[in-house]
Amino acid sequence: MSGETNGSRRFRRTLASVMFVQIVTLCALWFLQWRYSA
Amino acid sequence: MHPLNWVIVVGWLAYVVVHGIRRSTGTKKIEGYFLANRSLPWWAVGLSVMATQLSAVTMIGTTGQGATDGMRFVQFYFGLPLAMVILGVTLVPFLHGSGVYTAYEFLERRFDAKTRSLTAFLFLVSRAMSCGAIISAPAVVFSAIFGWSIAWSVAIIGVPAVLYTMVGGVQAVTWVDVKQMMLIVTAIVAVSITLLVQIPVSPSDALHIAGAAGRLRVFDFSFSLTNTYTFWSGVIGGTFLMLSYFGTDQSQVQRYLAAKSVDEARSSLLISAYWKIPLQALVLLIGVLVFVFYQFERPPLLFNPAHERLVRKEQPALYGVLESKYNAGLVARDVAARAVAQARHGGRGTDEASAMQTYRAQAAGVDSVRTEALSLAERVSGQPSRDVNYIIPRYVLDHLPIGLAGIFIAAVIAAAMNAISGELNSLSTASVIDFYRRWVRREASDEHFLMVSRIATGFWGIFACVVATYAVNLGSLIEVVNRFGSFFYGSILGVFLLAMIPRARASGAFLGLLAGMTVVGVVNFGAPSVAFLWHNVIGAVTVVLVGAIISAFGAPRVD
Repeated sequence: MSGETNGSRRFRRTLASVMFVQIVTLCALWFLQWRYSA
Repeated sequence: MHPLNWVIVVGWLAYVVVHGIRRSTGTKKIEGYFLANRSLPWWAVGLSVMATQLSAVTMIGTTGQGATDGMRFVQFYFGLPLAMVILGVTLVPFLHGSGVYTAYEFLERRFDAKTRSLTAFLFLVSRAMSCGAIISAPAVVFSAIFGWSIAWSVAIIGVPAVLYTMVGGVQAVTWVDVKQMMLIVTAIVAVSITLLVQIPVSPSDALHIAGAAGRLRVFDFSFSLTNTYTFWSGVIGGTFLMLSYFGTDQSQVQRYLAAKSVDEARSSLLISAYWKIPLQALVLLIGVLVFVFYQFERPPLLFNPAHERLVRKEQPALYGVLESKYNAGLVARDVAARAVAQARHGGRGTDEASAMQTYRAQAAGVDSVRTEALSLAERVSGQPSRDVNYIIPRYVLDHLPIGLAGIFIAAVIAAAMNAISGELNSLSTASVIDFYRRWVRREASDEHFLMVSRIATGFWGIFACVVATYAVNLGSLIEVVNRFGSFFYGSILGVFLLAMIPRARASGAFLGLLAGMTVVGVVNFGAPSVAFLWHNVIGAVTVVLVGAIISAFGAPRVD
């Protein structure tokens, strides 16, 4: 990865955190429905 | 509204106009005016992209939808993060790397002038009308709540936005968007916290009450072509819609073309991928909390004050009867809601289930009286009630502390200005680059094109304000235009997808575009129950298939 630019590194890092945040958000929404709409 | 709230609103409007005009440095040339000399940092571009798609409708319509329909609307955005990632690795490098001003200019380089002109024309028609609708929605609400004329409401939103966009171009739009996003997020968070403090039961009890009323149902895994808000329509149809919107709509594309590099451009898109679903969930949750708040506080029978005054005047006896029934129902519902909280703390499951059942029955009784009142208002006024749009404004004005109400109203105006300023800037760009400079005057000085660009921005601003002023009477026309817009959104995406296929030819792209729009039109009129999110999938797939087949049998490409 020696040819990787700062921008590419930031893109990959941001991409990983985007996926993490979406999974956490979907889990939170799922919990909201499961816990309170039963 | 308290004078301090007005000071906040007027102070903010003055601040954004001055800030926008001061940010207009470096706009002596057309590249500075439209693309900020490709110098903007990724985070500013990202916030601007988010701000452009967050309109006043989000602040008052979506929160109202949360109060009446619950959280399920959030599924609409499930495709957005995926679309952002796909664009980041496909279209963004193509568009940014090609050094174009508009997405449609890229289509002429790849295909031909008629494909470029048709797509740019479709963009101008749909965006100009939607710009009017974006101003009109909050203007109608402000007019009913504050008693202003529609023209005055439109001017308060439209004039500052047109002014700083005309003078400062994309620099002003982007930096004002950044500031306004901060105000909007502050308002959303502050209102959420205030609601949690104002509701007289614990947050957990509040959520149980919302859940009992069906407001916390988020996921619907049924596969239905006719239901707009399901998990699958959000993930599949939503992905295509977001690909079309962020990848081919000049109002979005222009934002990231102004970024410093390809990497900065695609990082800016990831900001939307990051925050859109959590932010939209929070906006809907505000609506849900307002719903719970009104379980313990007396809500008006009609939230629209203009309709309330009219019905009270025209049908006083009938409205009086409905109000008596409503008040009795509210007392019973309040008792039932408190019983739900008490039963939960008693720890006996049977008591809790019975309390929930009683609460649901009382809530249904209150809802049926409101339904009667809404149809009475529609009969008397001769207009659709759209009461959902007045729930949050009435809560803000009647129950928010002094100062915070001003911040929220300023945030609603800010959201409307963000949406239209980005669109005016892009309308001006497409008019000048794709039509004036392409067909009317190819060679001229930068000063000349800059002057024409400012005139175009002003023209589209006035056009949008006129449409907004008369939108109350043009309601059905705007609906027709929006419906027409859904005919070609997916089809334009199809042309861009085709552009990435090396063997695709200009004839395939143009005929594919016409075929895509025709097929979507046939589906729309032949099977009107098919939800509009699926139109994007149908349009894009048709263009790619027809375009690829025609290209395969056409003459070889000459580069």
